[in-house]
Amino acid sequence: MAPTPPTDAELDILIRARLAAVGIDLDQLPAGTVPDPVTGSPGRDSVVASLRSFLRGTVATLSTYRLPAPAGTDPAHEAALSQQRAPMLYPSISTAWRES
Amino acid sequence: MTGPSVRPDAVTTRSPQPMDRLIDRRSFLARTAALAAVTTTGAVVLPAIAYAGAQPARSGDAGPYRPPRPEALADITELTIAEAAWLIRARRLKPELLVEAYLDRIAAFEATYQAFNLVAADAALAAARQLADRRHLGPLHGIPLAIKDNYYTAGLRTTANSFLFQDFVPPFDATSVARLRAGGAIVLGKTQMGPLATTRATTPNGIVTTVNAWAPTEPAIDPGGSSTGTGTAVAGRLATSGTGTQTGGSITSPSNAQNLTGLKPTMGRVSLYGIVPLSYTRDHPGPLARDALDAAIMLGAMAAPDPADPRTQGLPPVPDLVTAATAVSGQGRIRLRWPTRIGVIPGYASGTSASARARQEFLATLAAIPGATLVDVPLPDEWDLLTGGAFNNVRLPERSEPFMPYLRTDLRGFGVSVTGWLQGALLGADEFLTGQRAKLLLLERVLDTVFDRCDVVVQTSPVPFDIIGLPELALPIGFTPAGLPIGTILGGQPYGEDRLLSIAAAYQAVTDWHLRRPANPPGDAPPLTTVDGRPPYRRSLAAAMSRAPDPGRGRFTADQVAAVMQ
Repeated sequence: MAPTPPTDAELDILIRARLAAVGIDLDQLPAGTVPDPVTGSPGRDSVVASLRSFLRGTVATLSTYRLPAPAGTDPAHEAALSQQRAPMLYPSISTAWRES
Repeated sequence: MTGPSVRPDAVTTRSPQPMDRLIDRRSFLARTAALAAVTTTGAVVLPAIAYAGAQPARSGDAGPYRPPRPEALADITELTIAEAAWLIRARRLKPELLVEAYLDRIAAFEATYQAFNLVAADAALAAARQLADRRHLGPLHGIPLAIKDNYYTAGLRTTANSFLFQDFVPPFDATSVARLRAGGAIVLGKTQMGPLATTRATTPNGIVTTVNAWAPTEPAIDPGGSSTGTGTAVAGRLATSGTGTQTGGSITSPSNAQNLTGLKPTMGRVSLYGIVPLSYTRDHPGPLARDALDAAIMLGAMAAPDPADPRTQGLPPVPDLVTAATAVSGQGRIRLRWPTRIGVIPGYASGTSASARARQEFLATLAAIPGATLVDVPLPDEWDLLTGGAFNNVRLPERSEPFMPYLRTDLRGFGVSVTGWLQGALLGADEFLTGQRAKLLLLERVLDTVFDRCDVVVQTSPVPFDIIGLPELALPIGFTPAGLPIGTILGGQPYGEDRLLSIAAAYQAVTDWHLRRPANPPGDAPPLTTVDGRPPYRRSLAAAMSRAPDPGRGRFTADQVAAVMQ
């Protein structure tokens, strides 16, 4: 059974905790939703709202995507047989690097 | 527009195969399939990718020098690189005069264009004087260039239009800047850009700066970003050519918006060493130029293996781009240098808009050139998904990770651009890896579905080929009824820059869109500088550069930047 989707409040905690865990303190930004008049940097509430949307959109889409199994794979054993493509930071360059 | 005819600079020469024919795509696909089929029980013997060509010969056909057009002799800011190089090599034009002519226009119009962050007038003039006495270094000898402000320039401030780098003076040149200078090019100035290369050029806090040279009094008209300042400087005749970087369309977009020929090379063709990173797997340095030949001259100087950037190593040799960008003729007609199948994706020229009509005419013109064959090509499976928002966002951790020290200490220093950096810091490693696997899947599908049927393909967005690092060339193909440029993009196979240039050269030999220049902005224009000299003109560069940001030009919010950033 799929877990219950996180609430806004739960995502806010996740966002702040994740960023704090790598040393990023959102309190550097102005409180509320009003941008800093000098730098234009957004209020922290605005940023958190944007980041919630990012988690629900981009992260969810990527994490649920399943790369296709090789053609002819027996569906009954697809998960076991599926050898995924290599992660490729530089796909175009790899066409030459695989020459050697 | 008439049918294909021969321009004076066309030559009749047969050429060896283009680079994309020297890479064995089939063996790449076979190897990819073998990799996909590998099991945990053992290894497989993989077919090699074969580069079948010899080391390409340098210089052929007419070379990079062209006799200037009369209108360019009457106003040397109109010269292309190839034309200026012809005059400089013949000692009929001193580089100092060319620099002076551009400085006059900058003084007159920079307050309106706002194309530059910094104009290195004294250093440029000094370099020009030194070059006058040196042996000729090649087609870039004495050519003033506009350099995007994310390229390191030794001793010159390099800000990337960000608070974070506002006082940064690099101790060395970016590799590509060093290579341009070694070829005799002159750094005229550093150009405005989107903050950290995210959007069209604005101040770090979002106030619009650079305008489109074709609509200088209408700041709302998009000049293209993020290499905006370079685009406006070249289009507005403030420099002969310039450099940009492209992560999500930032060379092709300003080129299309401002009637230029821009070339985003295959990833790895040009070193990224000494360029402020945005997304390091997708940042492509390349030229914004006035025509295909100038783009070839620029890229030919910038592209080379660099010991400081392993991405540039182990690649096929850089082909003779200048020859590729030289139009050829046969039996009195322009023809393509190499027989080429031009792929047309669904919907490319559909509709009745000015852009659609320009695309229809573009295709018809290409089809009339001997050697060109139009073929309909399908889009690969899951095209919208694999090139759309979520999979495009896989690039975001690449901007967060190298900036982590700044994110920990100076979030406000990112100005209106901060959201993308925070998004990147939130993306998990699992999702990042899925995105990297999907890149290879997308490349396989593009090679197998699209390039199995064609040699180059028209594009409706630069992003898909930015994701997988394939080359793209932007070129002018018409104008709107309001007089704004219309451009389009051709995409190529890995290392297929020569083929792209050959098509652009043939198209530009039978059309004149690329020769059209925008009118000057309102105000007093400097007198024209000819090859014979520069009339007296009092200029104040300091006054032109000392401007306060004008919120009346428009302002981006952080949310808007997050929505449109490259």
